[in-house]
Amino acid sequence: MASLIMQMLEGTVTSLRIFFLTLLFSLPLGFVVAKGKMTTIRPIRWITDLYIQIMRGTPLILQLIFFYFAPFYIFGASYDRFTACIVAFVVNYSAYFAEIYRSGLQSIDRGQHEAAKVLGFTKPYTFFHIVLPQVIKKIMPALGNEVITLVKDTALAQTIGVAELFRVAQTASSRQFSTIPIFIAGLFYFVMNYIVSRLFAVAEKKLDYYR
Amino acid sequence: MDKMINLQNLSKAFGETKVIRNISFTIEKGEVLSIIGPSGSGKSTMLRIITQLERADDGMLEVDGDTLFRSIDGKAVYDKENERKIGLKTGLVFQSFNLFPHFSVLRNVTEAQKAVLKRGKAEAEDKAMALLRKMGLEDKAKMYPYQLSGGQQQRVSIARALALDPKILFFDEPTSALDPELTREILHVIRGLAEEKMTMAVVTHEMHFAKAISDNAIFMDGGVIVEEGTSLFSDPKEERTRKFIASFENE
Repeated sequence: MASLIMQMLEGTVTSLRIFFLTLLFSLPLGFVVAKGKMTTIRPIRWITDLYIQIMRGTPLILQLIFFYFAPFYIFGASYDRFTACIVAFVVNYSAYFAEIYRSGLQSIDRGQHEAAKVLGFTKPYTFFHIVLPQVIKKIMPALGNEVITLVKDTALAQTIGVAELFRVAQTASSRQFSTIPIFIAGLFYFVMNYIVSRLFAVAEKKLDYYR
Repeated sequence: MDKMINLQNLSKAFGETKVIRNISFTIEKGEVLSIIGPSGSGKSTMLRIITQLERADDGMLEVDGDTLFRSIDGKAVYDKENERKIGLKTGLVFQSFNLFPHFSVLRNVTEAQKAVLKRGKAEAEDKAMALLRKMGLEDKAKMYPYQLSGGQQQRVSIARALALDPKILFFDEPTSALDPELTREILHVIRGLAEEKMTMAVVTHEMHFAKAISDNAIFMDGGVIVEEGTSLFSDPKEERTRKFIASFENE
């Protein structure tokens, strides 16, 4: 039992690595994608739109397989499965975050930009001090949802053979002819998401000082 | 007297719709100009061009002796070097206040002083508190915009504009979002500024108020100035002005 828990903790570390690396890259990249979708330069907007449509319109499990095998078929070279997994997650989640950011950016009243302009704030200052704080408050609930989904989606990494928590649990389960390891994994996911949702609740409360 | 605003032959279209057709007027230093007219007559667009929220198509504008744009071959050509300088000389108060909701009242009034004029914290706060006191809001400094009434929010936005020491302050229907009682609060503040010889241009539908505080007035309709001069309130010369003024008398 102790060795099972140890194995599952190792799997959890892998899951958490996928989780944090995905957030690290896709949270900022989502902003770039959102900007691309909101630009007045048409070709960029079309390409961004197509990219978002594909990412949201096809299963993540398929995208994982694509990013793992495509380099082999195109360049004749394959790369580390963990890297492929991170690439797929980042590319997928950037699209979702982009849509969340876009809705947040568009919900900011035009008057905020105009007031900032008339007061002489530069564009970067306006973005970072006037617009962004208000966007963050607006998108917190949607962002929380997406991050919770990400915790559970990390289980899909096993498709291309990454030994994350769920894979470890399944392997142990078939070795022991028991579903117990799977339910333990379930508990692990639940605890992780409980922490995530508590953190978001705290953040939302912190931003509750204005309307 | 020196001219604060010298606007000549301004034109502006949105697509095919000409919203301003060849408008000219001047505002002297220390003068209060009221701009009246029906909705869609181009009043707001004109203010937004002078405060650089919109670009002119053609014409010439000087603010306090500096040229913002001049007409070259039928097109308004902007003087890039002067854009920021002029921007700092002009202030604008919006119909919908547009306070920054995530900043306290005090920070709404200090933020641009610090970030734009590079004033120190103490200086900016002293200036802000003096203005808030003047607006009767010194006890609200730590509050957030959502905690204030519309009239109080508008007074904060006036303080925010005044904090940058503009040479001229524009008001774009400053009381249109307020009920009659709150409207009086704002009109009282603007009247006080007029008494201090603040140069102002006010787009408003408050005829009695406009008549009382104005040194000059223009009536706009369909993108042109139909009539100019404070006599348009009591003795309009043009038929269109007469009808517009009369529509307020019948209320």
